[in-house]
Amino acid sequence: MAKQLIALTVNGDPYEVAVSPHQTLLEVMRDSLNLTGTKRGCTAGSCGVCTVNGEQGEVILSCLALAVEWDGRSVTTVEGVEEGNELHPIQKSFLEHGAVQCGFCTPGLIMSAKALLDVNTSPSETDINEAMAGVICRCTGHIKVKKAIKEAASVLREREVNHGES
Amino acid sequence: MAKAKIKNNVPTKSRTKEDLAVVGKNWSRLDGADKVSGRSIFADDVRLPGMLFAKVVRSPYPHARIISIDTSEAEALPGVKAVITPEDAKDIWIGISQPLLPTENVTHVGHEVAAVAAMSEEIAAQAAALIKVEYERLPELLDVEKALKEDAPQLHEKAALNIGWQQEEEHGDPDAVFAECDVIREDTYITNPSHNCYAEYHVCVADFTKPGKLKMWTPTQTAHLFQQSLAAGFKLPASDVRLLTLNTGGGFTGRTSTRPHHFLAALLSRKAGKPVRLRAAGDEEFIMCRAGGKVIYKLRSGASKDGKLKVIEADLLFDTGAYIESQMIVTLLTSKYIHALYPIEASRYRGRLVHTNHLPYYFHHGGGIAQFQFALGQHVDALAREMGMDPVEFNLLNAVEEGHTTMEGAHYASCGLKECIEKTAAMAGWNDKYGKLPKFKGIGIGIGAMASGAKGLYKHDTSAAFVKVTEDGKASLFVGLPDMGQSSHTTMAIICAEVLGILPTDITVISGDTDTDPLDIGAFTQRGTFNTGNATKNAAIDARDQLAKTAANILEVDEAQLVFRDGKVYPEGQEDKAIAFAKVVYKTLHSREGRFVMGRGFYNSPLEKGTMAYSFGAQIAEVTVDPGTGVVTVDKMTASHDVGRAINPRVVEGQIDGQIFSGMSQVLYEETLMEDGQVMNPSRLDYKMPRAFEMPEVDHIIVESIDPNGPFGAKEVGEGPIVCTMQAIANAVTNAIGDQVTEMPLAPWRVIRAIKD
Repeated sequence: MAKQLIALTVNGDPYEVAVSPHQTLLEVMRDSLNLTGTKRGCTAGSCGVCTVNGEQGEVILSCLALAVEWDGRSVTTVEGVEEGNELHPIQKSFLEHGAVQCGFCTPGLIMSAKALLDVNTSPSETDINEAMAGVICRCTGHIKVKKAIKEAASVLREREVNHGES
Repeated sequence: MAKAKIKNNVPTKSRTKEDLAVVGKNWSRLDGADKVSGRSIFADDVRLPGMLFAKVVRSPYPHARIISIDTSEAEALPGVKAVITPEDAKDIWIGISQPLLPTENVTHVGHEVAAVAAMSEEIAAQAAALIKVEYERLPELLDVEKALKEDAPQLHEKAALNIGWQQEEEHGDPDAVFAECDVIREDTYITNPSHNCYAEYHVCVADFTKPGKLKMWTPTQTAHLFQQSLAAGFKLPASDVRLLTLNTGGGFTGRTSTRPHHFLAALLSRKAGKPVRLRAAGDEEFIMCRAGGKVIYKLRSGASKDGKLKVIEADLLFDTGAYIESQMIVTLLTSKYIHALYPIEASRYRGRLVHTNHLPYYFHHGGGIAQFQFALGQHVDALAREMGMDPVEFNLLNAVEEGHTTMEGAHYASCGLKECIEKTAAMAGWNDKYGKLPKFKGIGIGIGAMASGAKGLYKHDTSAAFVKVTEDGKASLFVGLPDMGQSSHTTMAIICAEVLGILPTDITVISGDTDTDPLDIGAFTQRGTFNTGNATKNAAIDARDQLAKTAANILEVDEAQLVFRDGKVYPEGQEDKAIAFAKVVYKTLHSREGRFVMGRGFYNSPLEKGTMAYSFGAQIAEVTVDPGTGVVTVDKMTASHDVGRAINPRVVEGQIDGQIFSGMSQVLYEETLMEDGQVMNPSRLDYKMPRAFEMPEVDHIIVESIDPNGPFGAKEVGEGPIVCTMQAIANAVTNAIGDQVTEMPLAPWRVIRAIKD
C-alpha cells in the first residue's frame, strides 16, 4: 500500500515522515525517527511500556496507535520530559526513591505518572493505582513507584503554590 | 592477591555503621538518570548499518516427523537475504542433547525448524509464512506422570522411562529416624508451568559478518557463559565471540543460558553477511521462553512430640520438556534446601527430570528453590498445626542458627534467621492475629535460606574486577557482572568507593563487553554482592595499597596507620594532616616511578563446593479470601531479610518489594495454561500478574548479621526474599479457609474447590 507523508511533532520537534497505513506510532518513532527511548514491549496494548502522552495529556499506547492518525498532531515521549538540562520532578523522584530497576518499563511508568500529575497534583491512592494499572513492572512490585509518584506530587504541588504566589 | 595492610575498611564484627563512610547509606543508581530519561540502550535499540531482521519458522505440533521443507518461494521473495534450514545448522548443538535445528523430528510446539533474514521484519514474516513444512504427526507425550509409564513412547534413546536426569541423595538414616518419630506427615504439592515475563522480550543482534568473529548484543545474566556456549556451538575460540550486554530488562532466572534464537541470529548473519536482529514477536515470546515446567513434590516428614523436626523426605518430579541442557541445576539446588532451614537428623531426596513433548523447561524466578519452598513451607506449617503448635513457635524452635553446618556441609558463618522470625512476627502482630482472625481472613509465615553463589554447578565460582584510578582522583571499575536491574553496578561502586575513601559518584562502572570486562561467571544464584563484591573490594584494596606508599612517604607515617576517607588520606586520628586523595594519585603518577594505579582482584569460594555465605529471611502474609469467588487479596506483607550488611538499604528494600511481587504473582496468578502442548494464554493480558492496585502494603525489616566473609559483612538479597513469599501467602490462605490449597497458582477455582471440600 502506498506510503503517506505525515507531519508529526515529537517533544516539540517537527518531523515529516512517510508512513505505511498499518505502521504504528511506536514503529515510526523508533524505526523512522530513531527515537528509541519509548520501548517496544508486547505490541498488543497489554504491557504498557510504550506509553506516550498526547497533546491533551492523553495516555497513548503507541503500539496500538496508527501513525497516520497522528498527522498534524504532537506527542510527548520520555525523551521530552526533562526541563532543560534538569530532570523533571517525576524523573528525579523515581531516581531518588528507588523506583527504577531494570528500566525497560520505566518510560511507560514515567509517562503514565506524568499524564496523571499534569492534571492532578493531589492524587489519591486510587488515582495512582488507576493511572498505573496499564503498565506491568516485574522488578519493583510498583511499591517504590507509587511512593515516588506521591513524593513527586508533593514537589509539584509546592511548585504550584510558589508559582501562584509569584 | 593484595593483603589488606591498612586497618581502615577492614570489616570486623565490631564495626558500626558510623565507621563506614558510604556503605550503608542510600545511593541512587548510577545509571538511573539515563533510565528515567529514555537514554538507556537495550538490545532492541541497537541499529547497525545494513542490519537485517529475522523470523523463525516454528513447529505447530508437539511431536512430528519432518517430511520436507520447501524454502523456494521464501527465497524468491524480494528483500529476503538468507534462509536457513536444518541443513545449515548441522553439528550445532544447544547443550548436550539438542541439535539447533531438528533433522528428523520436532519435539514441541514452537520448535525451531527454519529461519529467514530479510530487509524488514515485515518481509521476514512474509517469507517465513512462505516456507512449507510437511509433517507426519507422532504420538505425543504431554503428561509428566504418564511419561513415566512402561508403555509410554520413549522420546530419547538414552532416557529410559523418559527420565533424562535423576539425582538421589541421602543423609543420615531416614528410615531409622522416621521409626523414632511421634508424628509423621505426608503431603503432595504441584507447581504449574510459568513464564519469566521480563519486561524486555527475548531479543538479540548478531554480527557474524567478519569470518570467525561473532559479536552479539543481547540481554543476559551471564555474558561469560553465553560466550562459552556460543563459542562451543560455532567451534570458535571463546575470545572470538564478543558478548555486548547493554541494559538487561530483567532476568528472573530466565537469562542464564543461551537459547536457540541466539544461534539462529548468528547463523543468519553469517549466511547473509549482514548483522541480524531476532526478536520475539507477540505470542512467540511465550513459546520460546523456557521458564518453569510442572513439578510434583511428594513430601514426608517426621517430628518428635515436643515439636522437634527430625527427618524430611522429598520426591520431586519435574516436567523437563523435550531436551535437557542445564536443567540438572534444579535438582542440584533443590536437594540442598531440604536441610537448609532445620537441623534435622536425616533426609532423603530424589529429583527426576522427565521428558515430555513440551518446550524444554528451565526455571522461573526463584530458580526452583522458591517453588520447592512453596511445598516445603506449607508441609511444615501443616505438620506444626497437626501437633497443635503455632507455626511461629514451631519455626523458632527448629530454625538453624549461626555456626550450624547442614548435613550437606553448608556452614552458616552468620545466620539471623531467628532474629528475622522474631522481628517479623512482632512487627506483623502475629500473636494478636494468629487464630484470632474472622473467617476468611488469614495470616501465614514463610521462612527461607539462600546461598550466595553455587560453586559446584561449575568448577569455579569466580568473579574478577579491575580498578583504574585516574589522575583527577576518580576511578573506573571494570566488572563482568551484568546489572539486570538489581543495581549491582552501583553496589560495586559503593564497595569500591568505601575502600578508596571517595564517593560512589566518583566511580564509573565499565561493564557489558567481554573484550574488556574481567571474568565473572554471572548474576545468578544471587552471587553478585558476595562474590563480585569481594572481587571489587580486593581490587580496590590492591589499588589503595599502591597509593598508600605515596601517602605514607608524604605524611611520613607507616602505611598501616593510614585512613582513606571522604576524599582524603590521613594518619589515623590526625585528620588535620589530611591530604587530598586526588593529590596522592597525582603524586603517584607524577613521580620518578610514574606509577599508574590499577588494582586487580578476584574472588572464588575457597571451598571445594558451595559458598561461604547464606542469607535468611522470614515473611508474614495477611490475606482475605472471598468465599463467593475464591479470589485471594493480599492485604499486607511483613518481610525481613538477613542480608549480612545492607550496602545500599533502599535497594535492599526494592529487591524485597520486587520479590514479594513475583512471589505473590506466582503463587496466586501465574500459569501458562497448556492444552495439547500449546500455550493457551500467550499474552500479557491472559497471563496474569499483579497490577499496581493489587499490591499490598509491604513492611521491611533489614537484619544485619555482618557476615565475616562478606564485603563489609554483606551477603545477598537477590533471590532470598522470594523463597519466603509463596509459602507465606499459601499458609495465610490455609489459615483463612481452614484447608491447604496444594496446587500453585492458588487460582480462584482451586481456592473455591478447597473451601467446598
